[in-house]
Amino acid sequence: MTDTMTKEAVRYLGFGRREADEATLRLVAAAFSQLEKAASPRIVWRVFDLKTAGEGRLDIGGMEVESRSLWKNMKGCCQAVVLGATLGSGVDLLMRRQSLTDMAAAVVTQACAAAMLEEYLDGEQEKIGRELEREGKYLRPRFSPGYGDFSICHQGQLLAMLEAPKRIGLSLTDSSMLTPVKSVTAVIGVSTVKEPCHRKGCEACGKTDCIYRRNEG
Amino acid sequence: MILDRLGRELLFFDGGMGTLLQEKGLRPGELPEAWNLEHTEDIVDIHRQYFESGSDIVLTNTFGANALKFHSSEYDLEDIITAAVVSAKEGAWLGVRDDRKVYVAMDIGPTGKLLKPLGDLDFETALSAFGEAAGYGEAAGADLIHIETMSDMYEMKAAVLGAKEHTSLPVFVTMIFDEKGKLLTGGDVAAAVSMLEGLRVDALGINCGLGPEQMLPILEDIMKYTSLPVIVKPNAGLPRQRDGRTVYDVAPEEFASSMKKIVEMGACAVGGCCGTTPAHIREMTRLCRGMEVKSPVRKSHTIVSSYGRAVLLGDKPVIIGERINPTGKKRFRQALKDHDMEYILKEAVTQQEKGAHILDVNVGLPDIDEKSMMQDVVGELQSITSLPLQIDTVDPQAMEAAMRMYNGKPMINSVNGKQESMDQVFPLVKKYGGVVVGLTLDEEGIPSDAEGRARIAGRIIEEAGKYGIEKKDIVIDVLAMTISSDPDGARTTLEALRLVRERYGVRTVLGVSNISFGLPGRAVINANFYTMALQSGLTAGIINPSSAEMMKSYYAYCALMGFDANCEEYIREYGTVQADTSAQAGPSSLSLRAAIEKGLKEDASAITRELVKEQPPLAIIDSELIPALDQVGKGFERGTVFLPQLLMSADAAKNAFAVLRDRLEESGASTEKKEKIILATVKGDIHDIGKNIVKVLLENYSFDVIDMGKDVPPEDIVRKAMEEEVRLVGLSALMTTTVGSMEETIRQLKEARPDCRVMVGGAVLNQEYADMIGADFYGKDAMQSVYYAQELFGR
Repeated sequence: MTDTMTKEAVRYLGFGRREADEATLRLVAAAFSQLEKAASPRIVWRVFDLKTAGEGRLDIGGMEVESRSLWKNMKGCCQAVVLGATLGSGVDLLMRRQSLTDMAAAVVTQACAAAMLEEYLDGEQEKIGRELEREGKYLRPRFSPGYGDFSICHQGQLLAMLEAPKRIGLSLTDSSMLTPVKSVTAVIGVSTVKEPCHRKGCEACGKTDCIYRRNEG
Repeated sequence: MILDRLGRELLFFDGGMGTLLQEKGLRPGELPEAWNLEHTEDIVDIHRQYFESGSDIVLTNTFGANALKFHSSEYDLEDIITAAVVSAKEGAWLGVRDDRKVYVAMDIGPTGKLLKPLGDLDFETALSAFGEAAGYGEAAGADLIHIETMSDMYEMKAAVLGAKEHTSLPVFVTMIFDEKGKLLTGGDVAAAVSMLEGLRVDALGINCGLGPEQMLPILEDIMKYTSLPVIVKPNAGLPRQRDGRTVYDVAPEEFASSMKKIVEMGACAVGGCCGTTPAHIREMTRLCRGMEVKSPVRKSHTIVSSYGRAVLLGDKPVIIGERINPTGKKRFRQALKDHDMEYILKEAVTQQEKGAHILDVNVGLPDIDEKSMMQDVVGELQSITSLPLQIDTVDPQAMEAAMRMYNGKPMINSVNGKQESMDQVFPLVKKYGGVVVGLTLDEEGIPSDAEGRARIAGRIIEEAGKYGIEKKDIVIDVLAMTISSDPDGARTTLEALRLVRERYGVRTVLGVSNISFGLPGRAVINANFYTMALQSGLTAGIINPSSAEMMKSYYAYCALMGFDANCEEYIREYGTVQADTSAQAGPSSLSLRAAIEKGLKEDASAITRELVKEQPPLAIIDSELIPALDQVGKGFERGTVFLPQLLMSADAAKNAFAVLRDRLEESGASTEKKEKIILATVKGDIHDIGKNIVKVLLENYSFDVIDMGKDVPPEDIVRKAMEEEVRLVGLSALMTTTVGSMEETIRQLKEARPDCRVMVGGAVLNQEYADMIGADFYGKDAMQSVYYAQELFGR
């Protein structure tokens, strides 16, 4: 567990920028230590060609997407990293068990798992970035289905492009929900120009009234 | 037939299919199976190349050919599979130039979906889809069914049962493990192997995921546990990205020399998976053809498993938790009648926390539908615990239903020496697998002497043998008779334990606490008898792990007999005992109200236990509980109390309520009639944390919550609302994709029960959205639902 993870978990729990109380912090620490045992993070990623055709229309490795926000995010990119990552089904079971006996712990675990997944993704994205930098390519911030107008209905295609069910056990329900629950799919633009600003997911999102929004001030 | 050769001589599979199809022009997103009809000549050609390279068994191009994965408006599944089998046979005809006999295996891959309870795919739906595909394969002339690339035990079980129920072909299964030796859903080698052997597959092994070198430790582990012929089909190394393409680095020569090592370790059928080509297979057959295979060695481990772990019934004793059983438990009987899953599941969690290794599950009551209750309970247990279960019932239908849906290799309680019992139970064990408890009683009753019981044990073992059920899958229960009516009861049991261990070498199980029935201070007798039984060869005591005395016997025995390395478990359990008692000594100086406001669960129970000695429960609720909850609720609204704190207080209040409810029930006072509220997460939605938060809070305010769980179809919610005559239903949805089913649920509810109100909540909703779909109330947070319910019911 890192300080950032704790801070993020506390933010997800609705504390905003306020300090959490001691009892909550104890729950947070306990949740992270249980998650260490229950989680088995896995990731799969691939680089695909990216074509943009007119405003708001993209083609990522044959997948056609209509999304202005993704398009804006990918402007100037020629390729895209598509990734899927999951903390594994052990986390789902942990949360279900806690929901029965200790609802506060379940809610805290949920927040901590989200923070853990983000931290894991940041780390992996950095590794991917280093690998691509050797070829003179640079990454944009990652962008997930559900951000802005990038429809979550694309998750199925993304998983298929990655063979995610087979490779990391990440699959989709009929209603486009990822299983295991603590999972992410995302697209990262790849460009030959290094962007000065590396904004991460939260601030890049158009939903500015979100109560979980990271404070930019 | 292939089974006559398997395990006696080295057989060669083919290599990868996908890479070759891509080379021939398969586009991303295109269904590879459609090529069986569109580009038949290319498929035949790939098979031909493999046969020419020396393959004895090729897999048909049907990896994704099942109704759940293959969606095509143009092609019929049966035509696709038939064409696949025919192409493979044609490939053999073109490619085999010598007189060797070759085989076509109907290939079955995973559905790409996760089964319930983790995902949304129903076990029986998966089973039928696999069975349908396997059936087409057999009809088209396949020689065997090869299930491969399985990364989840439950899906694997569905595939094996589907293949076995729809065909009479041999069934091979290979799995995809990660470098830590785990399946993607957490199962390890021992758990998976024991389940597959129980299901009586003909061969098992590993494919995909790893290169040959990374598979070595996993193969070693498999060889340790399996008695079956082993198949190994690695990738050509680990996948790497190059120019936007996935490539595999292990060249044919290197691959072949690794495969030689794999054969030396004991694999008797080898081939390749992703990235391997006819060149890899040619090098491998050139280098390995003619090598002797080690014939599979019979293993005698007694193992039960769940989807996530295996429990070995070996020399170190294990604990079977006895608490999920209504016998003599009023509260548990009530829970069964009320379908109170939460109560039953908590028994499981508690026993797991207290150190149980296996959980006995008995839900038999005269006036309930035991089969459906057993299915519900086993299903729910599998979603919260990874402990293996012991299915405990005398109802053969309930037994079969539970064994069928069980994710792993279960323990079954029980069969006995009566012919009728053996005729009923052994066919089930043969079909579904399991470790079965054999009770030493027969048509004549329970023999009064040890020799008589041992003889029945012998008969059970012998009869099981006729079904191909090995001794390792039988554990004998020599039965403990209470010493208050039979003074020799304990001695006979101990003697019988020794006899069956020595004579048959089987593992044993015993319901320990029977011994003290009718005596005071039962824990004293039980604990001492437990130690004596362990000393006489008891493997698995069925006990209450919450009994401190029993656990002391267990940990002390393990420490004394060298089953607890460095006395670690013993020290973990008892190393801090003194510190604990001193901490508990002083009575808490807090008020109940303060304990709840601070969210202190243990204090809340302890203080309530003290308070009920002086005050009536209802007064405590009014003067302490309700004001505390109101205070916290208001703080939450003002933004001074946050969600975790709100819930800590709710949990503390829940503890206090539990004490009060027990007291009210003891005194026979009827608890206040509570208003019923249904809560459900709508169909398609599997996120239920929000709904669970609302539930805890509503219960705090004494509402009778009927929790229907997640992914609940509209019809079920309507039916329940009618049956229970509820006036308020709460629905939750997390994502835009499931708001549609929320809307549908509301529509149906309004139609069937117009006076029923619907409140909704969830991350995706807002007031506008809620209005649009016809909800009566939108709760922006969990407390709002409490206020709305209070208002509606005029509290």
